[in-house]
Amino acid sequence: MKMRHTSKYIFSICLVLSSLLIQAQAKKTDSIPVKTNRYGLRFGVDLSKIARSFYEDKYKGLEVVGDYRLTKKYYLGAELGNENKTVNDDQLNFTTKGSYFKAGFNYNIYDNWLDMENLIYIGMRYGVSTFSQTLNSYKIYNANPYFPDTPAIASGEKFSGLSAQWAEVVVGINAKVFNNFYVGFSLRANLLFSNKKPNTFDNLYIPGFNRTYDGNFGAGFNYTVSYFLPIYKKKVETTLVKKDVKKK
Amino acid sequence: MKKILILLLIVAFSLSGCEKDDICDPNTPTTPRLIVDFYDIQDPTKTKNVTDLAIVGDGMTTGILFPSESRIQVPLQLTEDTTKYSFILNSKNSNPALIFTDVIEFNYSRKTVYVSRACGYKTVFDLNNDTTLPNPYVLNNDPTASTGNWIKFLTVENYNIENENETHIKIYF
Repeated sequence: MKMRHTSKYIFSICLVLSSLLIQAQAKKTDSIPVKTNRYGLRFGVDLSKIARSFYEDKYKGLEVVGDYRLTKKYYLGAELGNENKTVNDDQLNFTTKGSYFKAGFNYNIYDNWLDMENLIYIGMRYGVSTFSQTLNSYKIYNANPYFPDTPAIASGEKFSGLSAQWAEVVVGINAKVFNNFYVGFSLRANLLFSNKKPNTFDNLYIPGFNRTYDGNFGAGFNYTVSYFLPIYKKKVETTLVKKDVKKK
Repeated sequence: MKKILILLLIVAFSLSGCEKDDICDPNTPTTPRLIVDFYDIQDPTKTKNVTDLAIVGDGMTTGILFPSESRIQVPLQLTEDTTKYSFILNSKNSNPALIFTDVIEFNYSRKTVYVSRACGYKTVFDLNNDTTLPNPYVLNNDPTASTGNWIKFLTVENYNIENENETHIKIYF
């Protein structure tokens, strides 16, 4: 568990540093100040889920991400994913399988220099997931054991037709690495507002929402690689004027 | 710009660092024990303390000792619908003639109830309350007995054993 966190930190640091590096390089280039904004569709995958599918035992997950630039600052954003996760806790062992879809918007708060096309954004999502849970085994908690301890009880009971809905607040970056390829990272704070639970169990993991806690809050993240498909261009004039004024 | 990146880093660290400890809180009601209250047969409204009451489960070598209490907690077996105990009064007395033993068998049904991630499931019990089933308690292996060697009378106060806040069995002696 510690190791996984450490690698998460290293990855975050590398990512942030690399985005700084990209900006530093961009600052050096001197080009003609004709500013156009490109509009189009960006689509990619969450690398962290693919990586976890390899190194984490009993986890399979895939998430495709996409966004579409609506205005200078606003982007439509969406994620579509599928997860299959087995959790092995002290008292419970269960498998959650299901799909999820999240849709919302991103607002770019980063002022790009010249023809840079990076994003530091905040956004919101509405998430919905349908899934099933299989209780593989469980233990009876006995605070006052006197008789020989009861072993874990194998169950295999499957709870189907479960669903959940939630809202996410997203903070993220998307840095252009080369050509139209982007590397991104986003953090999500989740608020569960609808949760269809089984009668004799709980939704301890919800695909897309991740682990649930006692309250309605949850958290998530993704590391994405994506490709930007330009569709049309728009000239930006207002910012040019401003910059000329500053130069004088 | 740099401030935002630093903020992002802080958020990233704090989020991945917040993994809750999954330890079952001792205050969470989990599998309950059978609560037995002792009353004075001379004055049935008054509780009476037992002296060095040892209860030993059938097939167990060690018992649970209650030095001087009027309320005791009796663990039930989670794998069987019956639990048999020897209730040994004055168990520490040097004079064997003053040590009294009664054997009580409790008969019940079990239900498994989900508690939480950390606690998993608990078992709750229903003492038998149906003439077609074995009696909820059997004294000294005699289903018709109501008086034992030191126990004068037994009543079931609560057939449902779901928590430890209420009396389930009253014993008068």
